[in-house]
Amino acid sequence: MIRTPLRPLARILNARQAGENPDAIEAENKRIRHEAMRDTDRVRAESRLYILGGCFFFAFTAIILKMGVIATTLPEEPQVSRSGDPILSMRSDIVDREGRVLATNFDTYAVYAHPRDMIDPEVAASELARIFPELDEERLLKDFTGNRSFVWIRRQISPEQMQEVFDIGEPGLLFGPREMRLYPNGPVASHILGGSNFGRESVDSAEIVGIAGVERQFDDYLRDPANGGAPLQLSIDLTIQAATERVLAGGMMLMNAKGAAAVLMDVHTGEIISMASLPDFDPNNRPTVLTQGDQSDSPLFNRAVQGVYELGSTFKILAVAQALELGLVNPDTMIQTQPAIRIGGFAINDFHSYGRENSVTDVIAKSSNIGTAHIAEMIGGERQQEFLRSLGILDVSPVELSEARAGRPQYPRDWTPINTMTISYGHGVAASPLHLASAYATLANGGRLVTPTLIHDASNTVGERVISETTARQSVDMLRQVVTRGTASFGEVAGYEVAGKTGTADKVRPTGGYYDDKVIATFASVFPASDPKYVLVVTLDEPNDTTGSEPRRTAGWTAVPVAAEMIRRVAPLLGLRPNIETPLMTGVSLASE
Amino acid sequence: MSYLEYNVKSVPTGFRKLLFLNWPIILLLCAISSAGFIMLYSVAGGSINPWLEPQLKRFALGMAVMLGIAMIPIWFWRNVSAVGYIVSVLLLIAVELFGEVRMGAQRWINLGFMVLQPSELAKITVVMFLASYYDWLPLNRKSHPLWVFIPVMIIMIPTALVLKQPDLGTALLVMIGGGTIMFLAGVHWAYFAGVIASGVGVVWAVMVSKGQSWQLLKDYQYRRIETFLDPSSDPLGAGYHITQAKIALGSGGWTGRGFMQGTQSRLNFLPEKHTDFIFTTLAEEFGFIGATTLLTLYVALILICIFSALQNRDRFGSLLTLGITMTFFLYFAVNMSMVMGMAPVVGVPLPMVSYGGSAMLVLLVGFGLIQSAHVHKAR
Repeated sequence: MIRTPLRPLARILNARQAGENPDAIEAENKRIRHEAMRDTDRVRAESRLYILGGCFFFAFTAIILKMGVIATTLPEEPQVSRSGDPILSMRSDIVDREGRVLATNFDTYAVYAHPRDMIDPEVAASELARIFPELDEERLLKDFTGNRSFVWIRRQISPEQMQEVFDIGEPGLLFGPREMRLYPNGPVASHILGGSNFGRESVDSAEIVGIAGVERQFDDYLRDPANGGAPLQLSIDLTIQAATERVLAGGMMLMNAKGAAAVLMDVHTGEIISMASLPDFDPNNRPTVLTQGDQSDSPLFNRAVQGVYELGSTFKILAVAQALELGLVNPDTMIQTQPAIRIGGFAINDFHSYGRENSVTDVIAKSSNIGTAHIAEMIGGERQQEFLRSLGILDVSPVELSEARAGRPQYPRDWTPINTMTISYGHGVAASPLHLASAYATLANGGRLVTPTLIHDASNTVGERVISETTARQSVDMLRQVVTRGTASFGEVAGYEVAGKTGTADKVRPTGGYYDDKVIATFASVFPASDPKYVLVVTLDEPNDTTGSEPRRTAGWTAVPVAAEMIRRVAPLLGLRPNIETPLMTGVSLASE
Repeated sequence: MSYLEYNVKSVPTGFRKLLFLNWPIILLLCAISSAGFIMLYSVAGGSINPWLEPQLKRFALGMAVMLGIAMIPIWFWRNVSAVGYIVSVLLLIAVELFGEVRMGAQRWINLGFMVLQPSELAKITVVMFLASYYDWLPLNRKSHPLWVFIPVMIIMIPTALVLKQPDLGTALLVMIGGGTIMFLAGVHWAYFAGVIASGVGVVWAVMVSKGQSWQLLKDYQYRRIETFLDPSSDPLGAGYHITQAKIALGSGGWTGRGFMQGTQSRLNFLPEKHTDFIFTTLAEEFGFIGATTLLTLYVALILICIFSALQNRDRFGSLLTLGITMTFFLYFAVNMSMVMGMAPVVGVPLPMVSYGGSAMLVLLVGFGLIQSAHVHKAR
């Protein structure tokens, strides 16, 4: 910018010569400069004003155009069906292995009030109290006439109730769509499904949150809109699950047990076909968690997964299988079964006396504690612990239930020689029926590790080899003899070749020590023995068979008949053909001859 | 040119001032307000209660205040602008400390005889104070960073206080109103380009960050943005107002359903039918023609104000006039865009038409200042 000087020397000198005041020249120049600045500023301000005017014009045009567009297009009605958070309306169904629905969603409505829009609060309150008898009319009237602008009335109503509320004709009563989770089969598979509850709530929708079972375990999956509503397919079979629960409930009642659990598993895939725990509940109306007393007495308690019990003699076959695998014994090796073992002030005894020596097979068939303890002595504590851990018995079960983490197996921290002996016959180590079923499945499928799962998937298969096929075969044969001539003689089901092992363990007193008259009776079975396909574990909590002259509590009298009945019921449903040797038809001739 | 430089004697005195008022502005204000009176009568179902009567009283009071302010010389208002600014900032702080919470925001302060919303007052005082600042500031310093920093602080202090209430809409209005004064005063354009660029950058960052680990906003805030972009995605929830308003506008068609024949608004579909969403009632009952007529009245009012500012050689007077005009424009532009779903629902009333005291009084005070500048300009 070229500036004109305020005091040009030539003019100043001229002015001085002329006797004029040179400051006047400066003042004049200053005025001219200021005016020039103000003019450029004004021009700039005006150009800025034009820019602003352009903005105004643009805004006006946009508003008028938009108004024209709206005025000329047909008004569109809001679409109620698209309301709410789309994620909520897409919580996936849960189905069984055949695709039958176990859990689904159900559209219902919530009713609420805007008291400020109400025409006649008194009529509304009395009508509502009539439709919903549990509501208090005075309380409603107080809410409607007070200062509140919003009042919840009911969170879920039936279509009939909705129509009745609608018929009141009160514009201040409004409905909000809402989904609820429905379990159409009621208490069937309740412990597997778990349950759900409402999470965040608004007028238009409510979030469904899984709070137990697979609903909780797969909550993220079930809510994920990316699945496009594809259902979650479980490995359980609804029919077999229902049959299992039915037989188990009957058995529990006959045996006067306070609880019962059953696990039926496919030995070649680890898929759980049915899993029941009694007492159960209805997930549509989940009972509240116990606030006092023992949580394991609550119907919410899943005995098959959370219940960690000393499973008794069912463990013996594991010790024997390991001894066979290590080459320490063969099925005919004679094992000392008399006298009782005294170690550290503790005596290991048998239920009856079985004579001085028995073969390994007989140790299992007759269920000798002394014999098994001797076998465990041969194996040694370290190898025993390693073997049990490789079968998954000492770790939390990997099954897809949030409750499984609560069923952490218990075992002694110091694995002393006496622990080695007691653990070999199932005392001093506690695990869930599901743990036991997985271990038996490994024996049954030829010795490969089984991972229990609740998800039906064609890729489910067995894992690495734990014991050799020969050992597995010999173990199953021994288990078969337990049924044909041993402690589980009630377990025979014609044609299905049941093999298995009983186990009766005294219950632990909460104060320490064991009860004399309370047991956990377990029967772990494999069928059909010639080509094992399924494992069934039945556990009764405090059974007491009073039909005889004196109370009978051992598994052979309690858990075994229940399991046999269960196999009788479910084996045909599983598609197994009874293997019955047809007698030769001598003396009968065909008519055509 | 400042008022000190022109001959004060050329300014009318006494009641002669009434002759020099900008009468077209007064007539337009009356016309626009009348449209509001008609609508308030209609939404009340053909009754002067509960809305029309108080609104008429407020309008009468507001017009008296406007004339009173117009009678007082503009140089008095220039001299008290700093005081007005400080008072309104103090009131904003007071509202933070002992304000009343209504509708989930702390915006009101009870003065005993009336309930005041200081953020409305701040819209006028910020504009006034900035106009007097640029009147005082030598022209060659206006783009110097230090002399730019001061007005930025003048704007940001009340803006931050309003944001804390929280009232995003008013905060933006205060900011844009102040920014307009700076723009018109001739601050170098690079500053504005910088502000706009960083604003765009922030918006871009916010949108890009969605779903990332460094997500800048909460999920529900994104949901609001999405609802704004596509209100039909949630017609019964956050998009309810907009959808219903659009239905009302659409059902009006070209000529409207006729006076008192509107259904959408009168049947209580719209909760704010007498305040922020009154325009939908008007559009439904008088159609596109009625709505554009109201819009034309607004445009005429704004054009007259701009013309008055251009005629005024006093820097304070013209900047103040333009600033208040801008505030007025923002009111109805934001309100109409909001109603038609072109802007988020921020709770800005339709000026002079919506039911409500604070906004109308503040706007009439503003027009009083415009009148004062008009009456006392150099002739």
